[in-house]
Amino acid sequence: MTMNQKILLAGIIFLLITGCGQNEQATPVVKPPTQQEVRETVPPTPQPKLAQVTAETRQTYQWYCAQCHGINGKGDGINAKFLTVPPRNHTKAEYLETRTDEQLFEAIKFGGLSTGRAPCMPAWGHTLDEDTIHSLVQYIRELCQCEAL
Amino acid sequence: MKNLAILILSGLLLSANASAGILEDRNCGSCHRLNTEETSLTAPDLHYAGNKFQPEWLKQFLKKPEVIRPAGFINDPEFLQGSTENRPVHPSFPEEDLNCLVESLMSLKIPGSTPAPTEPLSKGQQAKIKYQFERTFGCISCHQSLNLAGKVRGGISGPSLVNAGNRLQADWIADWLSSPETYLAKGRMPRYKMDPATLGQFTRFIMTLKKENIK
Repeated sequence: MTMNQKILLAGIIFLLITGCGQNEQATPVVKPPTQQEVRETVPPTPQPKLAQVTAETRQTYQWYCAQCHGINGKGDGINAKFLTVPPRNHTKAEYLETRTDEQLFEAIKFGGLSTGRAPCMPAWGHTLDEDTIHSLVQYIRELCQCEAL
Repeated sequence: MKNLAILILSGLLLSANASAGILEDRNCGSCHRLNTEETSLTAPDLHYAGNKFQPEWLKQFLKKPEVIRPAGFINDPEFLQGSTENRPVHPSFPEEDLNCLVESLMSLKIPGSTPAPTEPLSKGQQAKIKYQFERTFGCISCHQSLNLAGKVRGGISGPSLVNAGNRLQADWIADWLSSPETYLAKGRMPRYKMDPATLGQFTRFIMTLKKENIK
């Protein structure tokens, strides 16, 4: 080993000893927070508030929807047997769980054709306000006892 | 001259009283609302009968009533049951009552009818509106109508439109479609916002629906 190499090696060792020691003192190790700490310090993300099913929702369903969908939502309203496409049975989860709440909302607001479904279902967007339609969607969820998959 | 004026005036007043009186005498107000001060009852409002009906149809109906609402009136507690049994049948009236009844009913008017276009639809327009009637607006779901083969089809929760062209006035149809709340505070029919051209064509289409076209 030449003299230059010895000096270089000594310099590196010095830097490693002194430099690393200084860094350890300046930046202490930060441990990630535990899940408990996260829960306590981070405010929860606000969830969209689901519309409520009220007595008014049920009355609205009876007044308008039941004409075709039936008093109990079974698709057997007074118009049912005269329609080319039977009205949806709102107590059957098999189909309704394949529909999102948004799709149900749009079908009510803009009519069946808007969601690629039967034209027998008219648009109710000029009759019912959006809050009422949201609550009807939740009422349909109550009838089918299902959520969107 | 003064005596003549008094005589004419008295005659007009007697005539008006007779017109108003016959609806009362025949107990029409026990089911129908005859003025806006009454509350809605168990049969269609008649306080705008003069806006809505054609007098000749009224005369025929009062002589030989036909079923307009197969499921009953919308306020009927049995409405959603779909049962047509035990429904009250509209009374028929003797020939001597008819003119006075019709005159009375036609005098019941409220302001606001929109003049509807009267020119006939072309075949193309007729086909387009028929498509919209059945598919875009879904009217056929609640109203009986005539299909292309002249057969009656459609739902029963709304009044039948099979003979609408003989029963209704075009101006009233246009007004009903554009502002139904003028006539009924809360119906079971969806509201539509049609552009004026579509509204006019729709009105004309409904006026083509007549029972003599049933095949």
